[in-house]
Amino acid sequence: MQSNAALEYDYSLAKKFTFLTILFGFLGMLIGTLLAAQLAFPSLNYLLGEYGTFSRLRPLHTNIVIFGFTVSGIFATWFYIGQRVLKVSLKESKFLMTVGNIQFWLYFVGALLAVVSLLMGITESKEYAQFEWPFDIVVVIIWVLWGLNIMGLIGIRREKALYISVWYYLACFLGISMLYLFNNMALPTYFTSGGLGSFFHSVSMYSGTNDALVQWWYGHNAVAFGFTVPIVGMIYYFLPKESGQPVYSYKLSLLSFWGLLFVYLWAGSHHLMWSTVPDWMQTMGSVFSVLLILPSWGSAINMLLTMKGEWQQLTENPLIKFMILASTFYMLSTIEGPIQAVRSVNAIAHFTDWIIGHVHDGVLGWVVFMIMSAIYHMTPRMFKREIYSKKLIETQFWLQTTAVVLYFTSMWIAGITQGMMWRAVDEYGNLMYSFIDTVNALHPYYVIRTIAAIMYLAGFMMFMYNIYKTVTAGREIEEEPQFRTPIAA
Amino acid sequence: MFFRWIERNPFFMAAWISLVIAVAGLIEIVPDFAKAARPVEGLKPYTVLELAGKEVYKKDNCIACHSQLIRPFKSETDRYGDFSVSGEYAYDRPFLWGSKRTGPDLHRVGRYRTTVWHEAHMWNPPAVVPGSIMPAYRHMWKNAADIETAYAEAVTVKNAFHTPYGPGIRKGKEAWEKYKPTVLAQARKVAEEMKGTEGVSKEEVLKMIDSGKVPEIVALIAYLNRLK
Amino acid sequence: MNGLMAKVIGFAALLMVATIAVVKYMHVDLSDPVNLITMVGAAAVAFLTAGVATKYISQMKTDTSTGELAEENWDGIGEYKNELPAGWAYTFVGVFVWSLWYGLLGYPVTAYSQVGEYNKEVQEYNKKFAKTFANASDEQLLDMGRSIYLVQCAPCHGITRDGNDGQAQDLTKRMAKAQILDVIKNGQNQLGYPMGAMPPGMASGEAAEKIAEWIASGAKGTPPAEFAVCASCHGADGKGNNGMAPNLTTYDETLMKHVLEHGKKGIIGQMPAFKGRFVPVQEKALARYLQSFEE
Ligand code: HEC
Ligand code: HEC
Ligand code: HEC
Ligand code: HEM
Ligand code: HEM
Ligand SMILES: [Ca+2]
Ligand SMILES: [Ca+2]
Ligand SMILES: [Cu+2]
Repeated sequence: MQSNAALEYDYSLAKKFTFLTILFGFLGMLIGTLLAAQLAFPSLNYLLGEYGTFSRLRPLHTNIVIFGFTVSGIFATWFYIGQRVLKVSLKESKFLMTVGNIQFWLYFVGALLAVVSLLMGITESKEYAQFEWPFDIVVVIIWVLWGLNIMGLIGIRREKALYISVWYYLACFLGISMLYLFNNMALPTYFTSGGLGSFFHSVSMYSGTNDALVQWWYGHNAVAFGFTVPIVGMIYYFLPKESGQPVYSYKLSLLSFWGLLFVYLWAGSHHLMWSTVPDWMQTMGSVFSVLLILPSWGSAINMLLTMKGEWQQLTENPLIKFMILASTFYMLSTIEGPIQAVRSVNAIAHFTDWIIGHVHDGVLGWVVFMIMSAIYHMTPRMFKREIYSKKLIETQFWLQTTAVVLYFTSMWIAGITQGMMWRAVDEYGNLMYSFIDTVNALHPYYVIRTIAAIMYLAGFMMFMYNIYKTVTAGREIEEEPQFRTPIAA
Repeated sequence: MFFRWIERNPFFMAAWISLVIAVAGLIEIVPDFAKAARPVEGLKPYTVLELAGKEVYKKDNCIACHSQLIRPFKSETDRYGDFSVSGEYAYDRPFLWGSKRTGPDLHRVGRYRTTVWHEAHMWNPPAVVPGSIMPAYRHMWKNAADIETAYAEAVTVKNAFHTPYGPGIRKGKEAWEKYKPTVLAQARKVAEEMKGTEGVSKEEVLKMIDSGKVPEIVALIAYLNRLK
Repeated sequence: MNGLMAKVIGFAALLMVATIAVVKYMHVDLSDPVNLITMVGAAAVAFLTAGVATKYISQMKTDTSTGELAEENWDGIGEYKNELPAGWAYTFVGVFVWSLWYGLLGYPVTAYSQVGEYNKEVQEYNKKFAKTFANASDEQLLDMGRSIYLVQCAPCHGITRDGNDGQAQDLTKRMAKAQILDVIKNGQNQLGYPMGAMPPGMASGEAAEKIAEWIASGAKGTPPAEFAVCASCHGADGKGNNGMAPNLTTYDETLMKHVLEHGKKGIIGQMPAFKGRFVPVQEKALARYLQSFEE
C-alpha cells in the first residue's frame, strides 16, 4: 500500500465532464419543467412554433438528462475515481489522455448535434434510442474510447484488487455496449433504395412484437446500466470516502453486485405486460423484477449500515445527508418498480403517471442527488478550494427534497386514479368515464408537479451557483482533505 | 475463492460479467424470433402515403402521449375495440406501442374516427374535445410530408424483409418518379374528403398536392385512418 | 419506534389515505380484485420503504460501527468483513419462495393464457349482463344509454348532443330540412333496411319542401298530402313501416341498429360503423337515450 501523497492525479478530464454534467443537467431539467407546465397549461405548447410542442420536446428532455447529464456524470466521476482507486495517474499515459480528450470533444459536439437532430424531428421513435443511425455510430465510437480508457487504466494500475466501484463502472461499460448495439440495428434507407429520400432515415431490423422485445430488453437495462449500476458505483466510493467509514460488508457488496447483474437482464419484459409478447415471458418479467428487490436493497442497506453510529455526520454534513436520502430514494424506486411489475398492479399502473412518478423518484431522488454529491465532493479536490456556502447547500437540500416528494406523491395519486378511472364501470357494467374525464381529473396534480418542478430546478440552480462560486471565489486550501469535504460555514 | 480471484483479474472479470448479462437475452428474447411475428391474414403493408404519415407520427412524436396497444381487458376492448394481436404488427418497423397514455390509445382509431374529425381535431383539439390538453399541430398544413423517404423505406423493407409490395416499388430515382403520381393520387383522395379549416381551405390543400407536395396532415390522416 | 420512524411512517399513511380518498371520490370500486391488489401493492411500497429505511437510519443514532477490516484499502476506503444482515437474508429466501409460487402456480409459465382469462371474463360478464338487464326498466335504459353515449359518441356529437357545431348529426332533433331534401333528391342506400334502396327524385320542388318541412319540424300531426309517395315505404305516419324503412320521426331501436352496424355518410359527413361493439340491450339503451330529445 502506498500513500496518496506520492501521486499527482490529472483531473482535467474529470473537470471538463463535470462542466458538461452541470450544463446538460440544467438544460434537461429546464425542459422537464417546461414539459410539466405544458401538461398543466397547454397554451405553453406554442412558445417555439412547431419545435415547442410537448411531443417534440419530450425526447429532448429524456435524451439530454440521460445521454447528456447522467452519462457526463458517469464519465466525470470515472475520470476522478478511476485514478484514485486504481492508484495510477492519467499523467502517466499520454495515450490515455489523448484518447480521453478525443472522447470528450467528440462527445460534446456529438451531443449538441444529436439534440438539434431531435428538435428537427429526426428520430427513430424508440424510447431512449431515438437517435438516428449516424448519431448511433458516434455514440458507439465514444463508448469504445471510454472502454479503452477503462481497460487502459486498469491495465497500468498499481492496486491489484479492483475496488467495488470499478466493478460497477466496468459492468456499465460492457452492459451498455451490448444493449446499444443490438437495439439500434437498422438499415439506412438512403443506401438501400438507390439514393432516395433522407440520408438520416433508417428502418428497424426487427418488426412488431420482436422489435418491442428487443427495445425493452434495451430500455429496461439502459435504466439498469445507466441509472443504477454506475450510480451505485458512485455511492460505493463517495459515501465511505466522505464519511471515513469502511464499507459495512464485503459479502453484501459481492452478492448485491453479481445478483444485480444476473437478475436485471431478465426483467425487461415487465415493460410489456399484457401486450402481445408470449405470456411466459411476461411472467418471467414479473418474477425477476420482484427478485431484483434483494440485490438493489442490498446495496442501499450496505450504504446505510456503513453510516452506523455516525448520526452526527448525518446532521452536520450536508453531503452525507444527500447521499443517505439518495439511498432511501433508491430503495423506494427499487421496490416500487417490482410492485408495478406484478401483473395485476401493472394492469393499473402501465401507461399512467404512476410510472412517471416511479421514474422520477429514481432519477431526481437517486441519480441527481448522487451526481450532485459527487460534484460537491470532487470540486474542492480538483480545484483546491473550499465549497463556497454551506447555507446554500442546506437550503438546496430542503427545497429539492420537498420537490421530489411533491413530484412523486402527485404522480402517484394521479396515476393510480387515472388507471382506476379507465377501468371503472357504472352499475350497468358500462365504462363510467370518457377519456377526457380522466384527463380533466389530473389537472390539479399536473399543477402540483409544475410547482415541484420549479422548486427542484431552483435547487439545481443554487447548486450551479455554489459550484461556480467555489471555483472562482472559494477559499483556497493547501492540503487535500482525507475525508470530509471542507465547506465554508 | 473465485470472486477474490476474479477481482484481481480484470480480463476474466469482464468476460464473466458479459456472460452473466448475456444469459437472459438468449433465453428470453431469441425464442420469439424463431417464430417471427407472422402477419395476420389479410394484413396489407402500409401504402407509401401511409408510411409517410407514419413518419409524421414519428417526427412529431405522438408516441409521447399515445399508445397503440389494446390490452385484453374488458375495459379496454369496450373503449377501443378488439384487443391487439401480434400478427397485426408484422409490418411495424419500429413498433409504436408507446408507454404512456396521456391521450387515448390509437391502435384502432381508424374504426371510429373519420378524416373530417381528425382534420378539425389536429387543427384545434379543444374545439373538438372540450378540455383537451393535446397541442394543435397547425404546421402540418404547411410542411410537406417526405414521400420520397417513405418510398425509400418501402423499397428497403420489400427487398430486405420480403414485405409484399407490388412490382411498382423498385430501387432508384426513375422508379420513384414513375411511382410518385400514385402517391399523389392517394393523397388527393384523402384531401377530397376533407372540409377545410378556418385557417387553410380545402382548395389550398388540393393545390399543394397538385403541385407535387403532400401536406403532412394529409399523410398523417391516411395513416390514422389505416389504424383499424 | 422512534420519532423519525413514526414521522416517516405517518407520512406513508397520509399518502395512502389521500390516494384512497381521491379514488373513492372518483367512485372507484375498491373491491374489484385488480384495484384491491394495486392498493395493497401501493401500501407495501410506502410502508416497507418507510419502515426499513428508517430502521437503518435510526441505527446511525443508536448503534456503533464494528467489524473485522479486510486487508485491502483503496484511496483510504476500508471494508468490513461483516456477515449479511439477517433480515435481508431471510427476505431473500421469502421472495424466492414467492417467485416459485408466482411462476408455477399463480401464473404457471406453461399454462397461463391472458387471452383465455379475457375470454372467460367477457363471457361471464355477458351472461350476467343479459340476465340482469333482459327486462331493463325504461329508466335504466335511459341511464345506460347516456353513459355509453358520453364515452363513445360525445367526441363527435358533443356532450349536449347538439352535433358540436355541425361536426356531426344534431341528435337533439331528428333530421334537418337540408338533409331531408338531399335524401329526397339523391336517394340513399347504405343502412341495410329490408326495403333496400331509397330511390332518388321521389318528390321535388314545392312538394319536397313541404314534406321536408313537416319531417324536420318533428313529424307531428297528420302528414301533408304530398307525403303519400313516401308512405308506401316509411308508413303513413312516417314511422318506418315496422322496420322496413327508417323511422323518420324518431331514433328508434331499428334505426339505431342499422346506423351502428353500417355507419352513415350524409351531407354532414361520415359516421363510422360500430359493428360488434355493443350487445342488443346496449343498442336499445342508446336508442332510448337518443329518443329522450322529445322529452
Ligand atoms: C400532450 C399530449 C398529447 C400529444 C403530444 C398528442 N396528443 Fe393526441 N390526444 C391527447 C389527449 C389528452 C387526447 C384526448 C382528448 C382529445 O381527444 O383531444 C388526445 C386525442 C387524440 C385523438 C383522438 C383519439 C380518440 O379516440 O378520440 C387522436 C386521433 C390523436 N390524439 C392523435 C394525435 C396525433 C396524431 C398526435 C401527434 C402528432 C398527438 N395526438 C399528440 C394528448 C396528446
Ligand atoms: C321505395 C321505398 C321508399 C320510398 C318510396 C321512400 N323511401 Fe325514404 N327510405 C327508404 C329506405 C329503404 C331508406 C334507407 C336507405 C338507406 O339504407 O340508406 C330510406 C331513407 C330515407 C331517409 C334517411 C333516413 C336516415 O336516417 O338516414 C329519409 C329522410 C327519407 N327516406 C325520406 C323519404 C321521403 C321524404 C320520401 C318521399 C318523398 C321517401 N323517403 C320515400 C325507402 C323509401
Ligand atoms: C367520428 C364521429 C362520430 C362518432 C364517434 C359517432 N357519430 Fe353518429 N354521426 C356522425 C356524423 C358525421 C353523422 C351525420 C351523418 C350525416 O351526414 O347524415 C352522424 C349521424 C348519426 C345519427 C343519425 C343517423 C341518421 O339516420 O340520420 C345517429 C342516430 C348517430 N349518429 C348516433 C351515434 C351514436 C349512438 C354514436 C356512438 C355509439 C355515434 N353516433 C358516434 C359522426 C359520428
Ligand atoms: C426538474 C426536474 C424534472 C422535471 C420537472 C421533469 C419532468 C418530466 C416530465 C413532465 C416528463 C414527461 C412525463 C409524461 O409524459 O407524462 C418527464 C419524463 C421523463 N424524465 Fe423527467 N423531469 C425532470 C428531471 C429528470 C431527470 C433529472 C431525469 C434523469 C436523470 C429525468 C428522466 C426522465 C425520463 C426517463 C422520462 C421518461 C419517462 C417515461 O417515458 O416513462 N427527468 N420528465
Ligand atoms: C428493482 C428495480 C426496478 C424494477 C423492477 C423496476 C420496474 C419498473 C416497471 C415495472 C416499470 C413500468 C413499466 C410499465 O408498465 O410501463 C418501470 C419503468 C421505469 N423505471 Fe423502473 N424499476 C426499477 C428501478 C428503477 C430505477 C432505480 C430507475 C431510475 C433511477 C428506474 C427507472 C425507470 C424508468 C425511466 C421507467 C420508464 C420506462 C418507460 O419509458 O416506460 N427504475 N420500472
Ligand atoms: Ca438509434
Ligand atoms: Ca416511456
Ligand atoms: Cu424496467
